[in-house]
Amino acid sequence: MFLALAEMRRAKARFGMLIVSIALLVFLILYQQSLRNGLLNSFIGAITTQSAPVLVYSVDGQRVIQGSVITPDAEALVASAEGVGEMGRLAQGTFSVTTSEGAFDASLIGYERPSLGAPETLTEGRLPAGPDEAVASDVDAADGFDIGDVVTVQPGGLEIEVVGLAKDAQLNAGPTLFVTYPTYLDAVVAQNPDAGEPPPNVIALAPADGVSDAELVANVNAQSDDLDALTKDDAARETPGVSQIQSSFLIIFALYALVVPCITGLFFLIVTFQKAAALTLLRAVGAPARRLVGALLIQATAILGLGYLLGVLLYAPVSQQRLGGIALSFETTAVVVWALILGAGGLLSSLFAARRVLRIDPIRATTGAGVGA
Amino acid sequence: MNDRPIALDMRDVRKVYRVGDSDIVALDHATLSVERSEMVALVGPSGSGKTTLCSIAGGILSPTEGRIVVGGEDITGHSESQLTSFRQRKVGFVFQSVNLVPFLTARENLLVVDELGRRTGAAARERADELLDDLGLTDRSKNLPSQLSGGQRQRVAIGRALMNDPELVLFDEPTSALDTELGAQVMELIRSEVTSSNTAAIVVTHDERITDYCDRSVNIVDGKLQAA
Ligand SMILES: Nc1ncnc2c1ncn2[C@@H]1O[C@H](COP(=O)(O)OP(=O)(O)OP(=O)(O)O)[C@@H](O)[C@H]1O
Ligand SMILES: [Mg+2]
Repeated sequence: MFLALAEMRRAKARFGMLIVSIALLVFLILYQQSLRNGLLNSFIGAITTQSAPVLVYSVDGQRVIQGSVITPDAEALVASAEGVGEMGRLAQGTFSVTTSEGAFDASLIGYERPSLGAPETLTEGRLPAGPDEAVASDVDAADGFDIGDVVTVQPGGLEIEVVGLAKDAQLNAGPTLFVTYPTYLDAVVAQNPDAGEPPPNVIALAPADGVSDAELVANVNAQSDDLDALTKDDAARETPGVSQIQSSFLIIFALYALVVPCITGLFFLIVTFQKAAALTLLRAVGAPARRLVGALLIQATAILGLGYLLGVLLYAPVSQQRLGGIALSFETTAVVVWALILGAGGLLSSLFAARRVLRIDPIRATTGAGVGA
Repeated sequence: MNDRPIALDMRDVRKVYRVGDSDIVALDHATLSVERSEMVALVGPSGSGKTTLCSIAGGILSPTEGRIVVGGEDITGHSESQLTSFRQRKVGFVFQSVNLVPFLTARENLLVVDELGRRTGAAARERADELLDDLGLTDRSKNLPSQLSGGQRQRVAIGRALMNDPELVLFDEPTSALDTELGAQVMELIRSEVTSSNTAAIVVTHDERITDYCDRSVNIVDGKLQAA
């Protein structure tokens, strides 16, 4: 303790710089973690937020809700699949809308049954009880999609009132409204009176008692090559673009997970080289090697801890901001997981310096020759 | 004062370095006893084995042959960690070159000796302050080595060597970096500290004048000891 802290006190600039470098890296890591999650939520948040455990697309739709079309025949095939407990239609389209804050391209998601497609939990307000009401994503509240705000579908002028908010419930990185199926059809007609009733895009299912989601998925897929049933998590994951985002970020994060330990490891290796003469002297006058390694590990722990703390302090305010259309949030899980990864990696890498310390031969103190070489 | 007046007893100590195919005999059947309060000058040309003898006596280096007893402790068969603990408890060193930890103040360079062993805390602080006072360094106790003169650094090193109240103190050319006047001052200091703390001391030197401060001199040539 004495040695470790005395050295850090005397070399504040050097240790301070390492702490700041680690803090900046931690900030970058956590910020990108928020960015990734925000980005994914903006693409597929609505799919994970909605309540149906199983979604059936048409194969032609390539796992994009709006591109999928369920014909009456397909719907009948789904209905006759074994293990279907509940079944309801889902339709989704992009509409030009205006709010008090401006004009937007919004996704409307129409659900037949609240238990199969409405947001599972609301952060505020209630689900639509009647026509022309909607639940919006909390992310868009400030853009005129807050409770009590009226959203007008253009052209046509259908007015929809927001009555509830769900957390991170966006689709296609834009404002998203969950409405009842009739309201959805109203919006379609309002926009284009000649359109006629569109077919549903997706069939939402819940399994019967004793049937698992996976079994239901398998049963439906067995019905026809044109049906593409997915659990809701798979549907979110398999949405085009999602896996590319995931793997790009994974590479970035893997690099970070290497860079931080490399920096700490190198730092302590350099410091150990530089003070080799002092360490040799201490060994010669009776310092057990493990005492010196202990001092090194205390320093590594202190520096990683302080660097991480500082990084989180930088990250906390910034994580509450929006970046373009993407809402960021403070990712507690990421903060904990990265603390473990970087803590373990950093300490592990400082073991290289520890090995150096263990190899010091105190005899070199007597000659004064190139110590540590 | 002590029932074992012999502080260092080296018998037939040999040290052979193997370099490539040839053997270098750095120490050849060296036998030496030093009593408590006794100060022995070890004089010899460069490469004669002075540092080797001190390193073996102080438990930094293991001999090829022979037996070493310091303060009643036979260290001949000691393991590395036993030697480390032995050095910490019973030996004081002033080395030929690097002697101080650069990131510790003068006072901390003394206290670190206590930190490395079984801590005594307040007693150690008292002893450090006492030694710094004896060495005339009280007003320099908070200085880092880089803020001290060569003579002051050497005095701090002497304090560090005496800090653990050792049985044996080894001074490897303690005055070689100092001018004549400062060298004499440092030798007087060593003399009075050795006498007052009742420890045995070996002072390595090339300098004949330094032998005057010692009780006796031992010459070493090619690893062989001979009384002066
Ligand atoms: N690690 C080693 N490997 C091989 N030979 C060594 C080693 N250390 C010392 N020697 C040799 O042992 C002999 C004695 O060396 P030592 O350092 O004890 O001499 P010294 O009397 O202290 O010399 P100086 O007055 O120059 O300090 C020398 O010939 C030296 O070259
Ligand atoms: Mg020497």
